[in-house]
Amino acid sequence: MKTITVTVNGTSYEESVPERMLLVDFLRDRLALTGTHVGCTYEGVCGACTVHLDGEAVKSCLMLAVQADGHAVTTVEGLAGEGGPGPLQRAFSNSHGLQCGFCTPGILMNMSDFLARHPDPSDEEIRSGLVGNLCRCTGYVHIVRAVRDAAREMREGASEVQA
Amino acid sequence: MYPSVIEEYLRPGSVSEALAAVARYDEGEAMFLAGGQSAMQAMKSRMLRPQCVVDLQDITELRGITRDGGALRIGAMTRYVDIAGDAALDGAFGALRDAASHVGDRQVRNRGTIGGSVCWNYVASCMPAVVLGLGGTLELAAADGSTRRLEADDFFLGPLETARREDEILLAVSWPAPPARRGSAYKKWGLVRDALPVVGVCVQVTLGGDGNCLQARVALSGLAGGCQRAQAGEDLLVGCSGDASAIDRALDAIAGSVETHSDMSADADYRRQLIRSIGSEVAATAFARARGD
Repeated sequence: MKTITVTVNGTSYEESVPERMLLVDFLRDRLALTGTHVGCTYEGVCGACTVHLDGEAVKSCLMLAVQADGHAVTTVEGLAGEGGPGPLQRAFSNSHGLQCGFCTPGILMNMSDFLARHPDPSDEEIRSGLVGNLCRCTGYVHIVRAVRDAAREMREGASEVQA
Repeated sequence: MYPSVIEEYLRPGSVSEALAAVARYDEGEAMFLAGGQSAMQAMKSRMLRPQCVVDLQDITELRGITRDGGALRIGAMTRYVDIAGDAALDGAFGALRDAASHVGDRQVRNRGTIGGSVCWNYVASCMPAVVLGLGGTLELAAADGSTRRLEADDFFLGPLETARREDEILLAVSWPAPPARRGSAYKKWGLVRDALPVVGVCVQVTLGGDGNCLQARVALSGLAGGCQRAQAGEDLLVGCSGDASAIDRALDAIAGSVETHSDMSADADYRRQLIRSIGSEVAATAFARARGD
């Protein structure tokens, strides 16, 4: 067992964990943050477990919890700001970007990081950004639309602030 | 799925600490952990069952892309995303960015490293083929303080097998300053966008003042034998100006000489066709980059 200190969604947690515990299981089982999902087995291919580690999208099933010691993690529970769901979350709601919703947290976490680095992406760039997230329900069309709409709103919001 | 019991997790701050930690264990009991994008898969499926995991994330001397004149050194813990984002990796080193930009997916690229990729040497992987195609030097360090340098041709031994001893750390992959008029490129094809390569081709060419090829290196990814040179085609590229017919002749020779296999992804003949098509495109790009087009 090892004692780790991880900041999750702004709150610092000190926990004693088995060395082999996965970060996704730490978040879900130890911290009860079940918004992060496990959608595949050992491959780490589905992306439903995507969170931010120090602000970058990573697959939490491909990390040990002990690797996050001293780092900051953001999960989907921490995505909304003070004013409630942000542009990306609202765009998914408005554009029917989810059906069962199982893949959605991973996509929101991946795309929020993606849009921070690519504020004006083409549809092709969005699709390339989504390679690490598998969705079985939607066929991705409305997901791409939601990301595009969110990007536009975020750009317009930014230019309003500057004006 | 999660790993078998890990008795000890260590996060050393230096290479010597990391080596000393692994040296305390018998062979097969301790392992280094880089980005974990392959190692964690192996640990979760229990293909690997380390008693001790030595996490390299805090060893800053293992990270970073440094240049000394034209010489290039990439620390083993440098992530794909950082290689992909280095716009100066063009011309002679373009293949590095071509490969790093398309490994896995962006989440994988935020964690996975060049060192982890070449040391794991998964049968289909891109980075080993590119390091082999570009003729990189692998710098290894041992617990007694000794270091050694291996050429890529001597480092990659076969699928999941390299010349790195279990108690050695890969410090960096490096290259001397390339000659002027050298260009490289890499492209892969898989069943879906950015998938593991069914086939990938890396080409590096060096041109003389007259624009003709003086030297060529070609390496392939995706094949059952692991990353490998394609010397049959290298010889045919030498002397040509990078014209389409010479490139096609070279890629025909390569496609005819390699051992391919049939599986769910593609049959053996289609793999040969992919080598021809992708290889021609990659060779043309390498020539263009060598010319500075």
